[in-house]
Amino acid sequence: MSANPHALLLDRGNLKRRNRFNRAVSVASTSAALLAVAVLLIVVGSVLLKGVGALSWHFLTTPSGLFGDTSGGIANAIVGSAIIVAIAAAMAIPVGILIAIYTTEFAPPAIAHPVRFVLDILNGVPTIITGIFVFGLLVEGNKQSGFAASVALAIVMLPIVARTAQEVLGLVPKTLKEASHALGIAPWRATVRITIPTAAGGLITGSLLAIARVAGETAPIILLSSIVGQGVLTDPSQALASIPYFIFTSSETPSAEAHTQAWAAALVLIAFVLVLNIVARAFYARSRKRMGG
Amino acid sequence: MEAGALSNPVLRARRNLTDRIGDPLLRGLSGLAAALAVVVIAGIVYEVIHLAWPAIQEFGVGFVTTNDWNPVSKRFGAAPFLYGTVVTSFIAILFAAPLSIAISIYLTEMAPQRVRRPVATLIDMLAAIPTVILGLWGILVLGPFMKDTIEPVLQSVFGFLPIFSGDPSAFGYLTAATILTIMATPIITSVTREVFETVPGDLKEASYALGATRWEMVRQVVLPYSRSGIVGATILGLGRAIGEAIAVAQVIGGATLINASLFHTGGTLAAQIAAQFQNSAGLQKASLAYLGLILLIFAVIVNVVARLIVQRGKIKDIDVTETEAAAL
Amino acid sequence: MTRHRFKEICVSKRLLGALIAALALTFAIAACGSSSSDSSSSSSGGANSPLVGAGSTLVAPLMSKWQSDFSSKSEITVTYGAIGSGGGIEQITSRTVDFGASDAPLTAEQFEEADAQGEVEQIPWALSGTVPAYNVKGAPKNLKLNGEVLAGIYLGKITSWDDPAIAKLNPGASLPSTKITPVYRSDGSGDTYAFTNYLSTINPEFKSTVGTSTQVKFPTGVGAEKNDGVAAAIGQTDGAIGYVGLAYAISSELSMPLVENSAGEFPEPGVKSVEAAAAAVSKIGPNNEISLADLPASAKGAYPISTYTYVIVPLETEKADEMKKFITYAIGEGQSYGPDLDFAPLPKQVVAAGKTAIAKIGS
Repeated sequence: MSANPHALLLDRGNLKRRNRFNRAVSVASTSAALLAVAVLLIVVGSVLLKGVGALSWHFLTTPSGLFGDTSGGIANAIVGSAIIVAIAAAMAIPVGILIAIYTTEFAPPAIAHPVRFVLDILNGVPTIITGIFVFGLLVEGNKQSGFAASVALAIVMLPIVARTAQEVLGLVPKTLKEASHALGIAPWRATVRITIPTAAGGLITGSLLAIARVAGETAPIILLSSIVGQGVLTDPSQALASIPYFIFTSSETPSAEAHTQAWAAALVLIAFVLVLNIVARAFYARSRKRMGG
Repeated sequence: MEAGALSNPVLRARRNLTDRIGDPLLRGLSGLAAALAVVVIAGIVYEVIHLAWPAIQEFGVGFVTTNDWNPVSKRFGAAPFLYGTVVTSFIAILFAAPLSIAISIYLTEMAPQRVRRPVATLIDMLAAIPTVILGLWGILVLGPFMKDTIEPVLQSVFGFLPIFSGDPSAFGYLTAATILTIMATPIITSVTREVFETVPGDLKEASYALGATRWEMVRQVVLPYSRSGIVGATILGLGRAIGEAIAVAQVIGGATLINASLFHTGGTLAAQIAAQFQNSAGLQKASLAYLGLILLIFAVIVNVVARLIVQRGKIKDIDVTETEAAAL
Repeated sequence: MTRHRFKEICVSKRLLGALIAALALTFAIAACGSSSSDSSSSSSGGANSPLVGAGSTLVAPLMSKWQSDFSSKSEITVTYGAIGSGGGIEQITSRTVDFGASDAPLTAEQFEEADAQGEVEQIPWALSGTVPAYNVKGAPKNLKLNGEVLAGIYLGKITSWDDPAIAKLNPGASLPSTKITPVYRSDGSGDTYAFTNYLSTINPEFKSTVGTSTQVKFPTGVGAEKNDGVAAAIGQTDGAIGYVGLAYAISSELSMPLVENSAGEFPEPGVKSVEAAAAAVSKIGPNNEISLADLPASAKGAYPISTYTYVIVPLETEKADEMKKFITYAIGEGQSYGPDLDFAPLPKQVVAAGKTAIAKIGS
């Protein structure tokens, strides 16, 4: 900065100019915020307006038609996505919370830091690479399956769940743990019956956000669960339909009806993701208040 | 748990079987979980290298600079896709960073209190939109808009520049970069916002006491204090942009050449893999895995550097939870 | 951060329970609601696991018809992913599927790779064509083109619709000066194979610069995935020309040019002209591959870019019986659905060769 750090503030009689500049910056930053909100509204608005036309009970409860047939719907995609995400969550959430327990309760800093580092790296792995990994692991030489897609999604969810769980478990007041020890409660019991329930709000938040994140993941699905049979399938050992893949393939066709179906499926997906996000944040805000954060 | 009940031999003797199993069990299980994370990451690296090996053997390091992707002559190189990744991500950050800083200033300093939370939430929602939907919107709404409106305008004003030469096209680098900007902005914004919020209030008030206007306070106190945090946030956004496969694949046109014009179709590392992996066999598939290896290295380095910067900066006690939540 | 409250522990447990119940309920409703209104096409009657196949988008319209018809007649479900011929070859090579479908016959190298896990058999099971399609405002319908012009366009030498080479073929037509945007398949495509095979036969420069394959590097143009993607790209760009499977071109209402054949005629692309092309070629290769790219001048009314499409199946497979039934159906009864979907019926000698090949499966 200049020799006198407060040179800017010396009274040089240019207050008006400074105020005007301040106003300009204020306008600019407000516009930036408005621009971002506008883009959000435009995107969500497009989905809403273009998709609502195809949205109907029939659309939601009928499986998609065969090639070129747009008379069907997304029932198989909804069920397939639900199953894939549910299995992924069942794998990732317990493991993520366990990792968080490990780093907050048991691990010496020499181990806790590398583990956090590893989670950081995992978080930064592009999902297409995760897809390649699970492809090599489960699909190559075998066949596609909803389960393989779940594994890939679980890997994507893991760092999200683990990190939020770490933060939240770390916020649980130490006095609670100390009190439980003083009362002779075994450490494991204290963790399971006291620490975790106290942190439950934050744990739920992390889990819901992770679910919202992977519900829309497409890249691994292309490699792992894209050749799907007809009708509403529920067996995860076979490839299952999914909403993101439906949107992806429908978006690349020339047919206007397929496009409308893509918008409608997008509407269902966005509604699900946004609702989860809002609920998760509400939980988070409440749990922060609770733990005096 | 060194002190406390367990050091009392009487109480310890009374621990029942469940407790005696429970402690080591929990410790073991959670340790296993942590080990699992390490195993997964190692597995990913191993598998990608394993799949890429035939291409690594065939092309060596020269692959990175080879500007060719020819399935007939079996000559593959990463250059067109590195170019595409760098160009689209660079443009995305070029616009997203200042935009995010401006938004963060708005949210932390300029906006009236009641507006802050709702607007911040809305911007975080932007990050939550699945990328395939952004891609769908890109194909059907943004693409035509770029082709019919934005690109012709750019060409009429800046057409002498090679980057704005050529025919306006719905699919290409520019459309992809725009989508990446939309994706990166909420991430950079939320981290930057957190960083701004940790600026000590007394510093800010001291600045006001000396007669600074709001903007001057921001410029003299908030921005310098947050410098490393902003850099870290930007790099985080960059990491997101680099790794995005789906939305980019939908709008970038799938070309395998380098082209100076931003209107032209192109490819990025992630998009090419997403589009071609299922279709390819043999050397081509290995080359795609090689692209994946380059992408992985790139993305991991960027992500790690970003977090290191954010943490190492003056922001020691930043509550990263909400940041992660929003950033993800 | 030392203030804390305890009573919320109970509240959060309740909320936790309620949330889990709500989520579980949602999933349950979705699963039950949709499986109860399960629509026709899946035959969950058969205890057999489905035959899973992937590949050619060219054959996909006919395949859909086969899937629904065959499953109602035999209780065997066929699952098919139209990911492109290149994908079909890859998937069957790594045995991730039970059969692959490709318009491009396997090269020697591809046979070697596919045979690594056991010998595979290649059987032609449908006959159609790859047709150029264009979208040019102000251009006449049924523009006349030939192989040289198409090669020139895809080599980037002919760049606008009013080029003299095009005008020469269409005397008297008023051609706009719009720039030509060639569209090609960016994924591994049997249509690309058929198209480049044809162009390489006609134009030596094309052969040496671009070559013949399911995936080539075109010096110019815009890439799109799958037949659908190409059709979409053509439709969105004024001045675009691309190549798609016959069925796609006809159903998408894009304009199809008339391509000059070796007899100097400009036949209309369709079942008849494809049939004429197939009738002019009797040579069946050792692996049942049949090329229709180099038609003799005596082939009248033949469409010059016709193509067979093949199923690739391993001889050793647990599903040999189902596979044999399905392919027999496809080259027999299934052919009757062809013409409505713009597929020509297989010539007799091809069906015979197919039956011989089918007999080898599972032996």
